[in-house]
Amino acid sequence: MLWSALLLPRPDAASPPIDAARQALAVWALQFTPRVAVADEAVLIEVAGSLRLFGGWRALTKRLWREGQQLGAQRITWAPNGLAALALARASADPPARGVSLQAALDALPMAVLSAVRPHATTLAHIGCSTLGDLRALPRGGIARRFDKTLLYALDQAYGLAPEVYPWVELPEVFDARLELMHRVGDASALLFGARRLLLQLCGWLAARHSGTTAFTLYWAHDAMRSRDAGEGGHLTIRTAQPTRDIEHLTRLLAEHLAQTTLAAPVGDLRLSADEVRALTEASRSFLPDTTDQGEALHQVLERLAARLGPARVLRPVLQADHRPEWMCRWQAAPLALPRQPAPHAEGPQPSFLLPTPLKLALRGHRPIYQGELQLLAGPQRVEGGWWDRVAGADGDESRTRNVVRDYWVALSEHAGVLWVFQTRLDEAPAWYLHGHFA
Amino acid sequence: MPPATAWLADTPSASASAPRAVFDTRTLPPTVAAALWRGNQLGSPVAAVHPSGFEALDAALPGGGWPGHSLTEILSPQSATLEWRLLGPALARACAAKRSVVLVGPPRQPHLPGLRLAGLDEKQLVWIQAETPAERLWAAEQLVKGQAAGALVVWLPQVRPEQVRRLQVLAAGHTGPVFLCRPSTAAQESSAAPLRLLARVGPDWTLQVDVVKRQGPPLAGTLRLTAVPAGLQAVLTPRLRLPSALRAGDGLAQPFTPRQADPCQPTETNHALVRPSAAPPRRRLTAH
Repeated sequence: MLWSALLLPRPDAASPPIDAARQALAVWALQFTPRVAVADEAVLIEVAGSLRLFGGWRALTKRLWREGQQLGAQRITWAPNGLAALALARASADPPARGVSLQAALDALPMAVLSAVRPHATTLAHIGCSTLGDLRALPRGGIARRFDKTLLYALDQAYGLAPEVYPWVELPEVFDARLELMHRVGDASALLFGARRLLLQLCGWLAARHSGTTAFTLYWAHDAMRSRDAGEGGHLTIRTAQPTRDIEHLTRLLAEHLAQTTLAAPVGDLRLSADEVRALTEASRSFLPDTTDQGEALHQVLERLAARLGPARVLRPVLQADHRPEWMCRWQAAPLALPRQPAPHAEGPQPSFLLPTPLKLALRGHRPIYQGELQLLAGPQRVEGGWWDRVAGADGDESRTRNVVRDYWVALSEHAGVLWVFQTRLDEAPAWYLHGHFA
Repeated sequence: MPPATAWLADTPSASASAPRAVFDTRTLPPTVAAALWRGNQLGSPVAAVHPSGFEALDAALPGGGWPGHSLTEILSPQSATLEWRLLGPALARACAAKRSVVLVGPPRQPHLPGLRLAGLDEKQLVWIQAETPAERLWAAEQLVKGQAAGALVVWLPQVRPEQVRRLQVLAAGHTGPVFLCRPSTAAQESSAAPLRLLARVGPDWTLQVDVVKRQGPPLAGTLRLTAVPAGLQAVLTPRLRLPSALRAGDGLAQPFTPRQADPCQPTETNHALVRPSAAPPRRRLTAH
């Protein structure tokens, strides 16, 4: 048995510990072991069975301490049983040196570190007890008669002589965590500090459920001292392409979105809920150090880019069954699914860069010029049709067809390389246009 | 292989100042010699090299191809004139290996049908529409840091040397090639990219490439690479393979006379017409 106690600070000795913080810590700790219990102002976890999974005691301690600190834990201690770990944490003693028995380590602690002692602390102090060792030296029969049985039992539990029974914390079915911010926050990007604490809980909850999230929402409630038109609060939903519980990725995504948000009023409360949760199969790790796959997946990078630039600017192509160059290819936002069936191959030469709207070329003696006179090499490739493609006109009421009647030529310009030009045939005045580059 | 005595003679009793009997690495196959590291040498990083698809260019590049783990600058007088002709084979190779090709801020809209002819796969292609220099740099930096793309092409019309240096440091972890397309005026500036090429469109479907900077001795001459834009191979007749001869001959020297084209001429996509021609203004009713 290997117990760890994560101690939360309490405002003062008399007040009860903050329940929300304790619950947050417990939910987060459930990713390491199912044996998580709440005891007064601390969360006790039993991790003997999880050491190997998390890379050994040293690595687990490091991780527990690093993430626990962000959730408000003040101290972390280890002991063979839960009460002893809690006692060591409360005494804020240095960890016992190697070779010192648990009994010797506990004997030196002040007796107030055990919760069961506290009701009788005054009486015990009057008879000259100050440490746990003093208490243990008293005759057991006398203690049982003068005080209550729970004191004796707690003492035995702490010294490992009696079994411990805890009500284990159960994992909530739905993730919905709140956080009251320490200060009113007026800037959206400053919400990230508080939101990261919630995300850490979310990731712990997801890990305990062996799932990942594809959508989560951060709600914020405006402070009571707000202007009338500011409203109750706001929310921000963030979606990911693949289920994930990578805290760093989620934090960066949230940071990008928050950077574009403006708060209507200062915020006092935060709430985070997981909207869509899906099972996540994790790739098994390699025994050998992996050198090839140190980066992120591409979709994670693209999500981050889309969060800052906007989803309409991170694009993947979809080929369309159209013979008019403008509509041959549609660019859609990267996370959307691409069609399964292979697209048809275009006939004839096609440029590699296309101008969104054809550029009308000047003429010099019936000859198109673009950075020098053009030399027409191959053509014409006739592209006609589009009468079926009806769009609303610029003024909205009159529809027009996107009919094209063009002869495409491959042209050579002295400075601009190989170009893709066309001549209109049915217009009032036939003209030459530049439409693409064979770059 | 060296004779065994070469090792036996090299005993600790031999004076340290005397040149040691080392075996000649030239006797080894070049691939083995490149991978061989001896204890008295400085370690050289094993760099990933991606063949460029041009033999002459591969011979001029250190390692024999576009380098991974570092930046490659392509300087050209005008953007959107030669990028795919020069980089197409390497990018097609990345697509064939199911790695993504990410384009950051191309000067024009990439046209997928043409890129498919160059061998790129639409499933592996991503277009980042970054407009401002800061956005381009940020997007490039994120992609280089993420190390997720197989090949990266970034158009950076305006960039400061220290920003290139930053990208170069980050690119150390990026296995695939990272191409920065910059204007040729940048050739005068210093740059942290270990490989810089100045490319121009030459006559007769060639690209003229100057190696401005490379690791190793400078290259004196200009490389002439034959790079026909993808998709034009099929329509080029033997005469069209030398357009400069046409231009010098009857092509443009004669005054241009509009030729009366037959309106009922069948549409042939592969029909190549050498002499410049323009149909006169015609008005006819279409069937539609």
